[in-house]
Amino acid sequence: MPRAKKRITRLPFYQWLAIELSLIALLSFGWSFENRLAGYSAFIGGLIYVIPNAYFAHRMFRFEGARQARLVVGNMFRAESIKLALTAVFFAAVFILIEPIHVSALLFTFAVMVALSPLLRWFIRPQPQR
Amino acid sequence: MEMVFIAAALIIGLGALGAGIGFGLLGGKLLESTARQPELGNQLQTKAFIMAGLLDAVPMIGVGIAMYLIFVVAG
Repeated sequence: MPRAKKRITRLPFYQWLAIELSLIALLSFGWSFENRLAGYSAFIGGLIYVIPNAYFAHRMFRFEGARQARLVVGNMFRAESIKLALTAVFFAAVFILIEPIHVSALLFTFAVMVALSPLLRWFIRPQPQR
Repeated sequence: MEMVFIAAALIIGLGALGAGIGFGLLGGKLLESTARQPELGNQLQTKAFIMAGLLDAVPMIGVGIAMYLIFVVAG
């Protein structure tokens, strides 16, 4: 295996995804008591956060270690720009293409996911392999 | 109605400016500390990843609100 491809840090990617998707399902279930439209709008709001965030995590841990610090930082900047752009595109697509939509449920779920994500990253942080 | 677009532009622009300054500082400190202690490189990368989550929270919410202003309020 080439040195650049060797994993130093194990990224708990599927664990994050599972917890974030369960949180979205929980919030959607809560909103679905209002009506069905609010439930699926909340689910879409959660997905708008999770998909760009998963891309960011994947891209940031593409390179690891002190030898590749420049590549790590460059990838972090690019991943952040693409994450913000993807979020804007997804919001625009949802507001244009999905009709009707419950805006409060969408934005509330998105904001809750944004607020809870750093906590989740803190508790389930990537573990060094050695 | 033009004020809505100006508001959305300000939200996105100032959010991006703040995130840019924050990520510049974060990336600079990551490079500096990795150069000082290369053996801690992967731990520092993990810490930078956690801080990145805190840093982009406000611009992300700003993007959501700006898109709402552009496509729902003005649209």
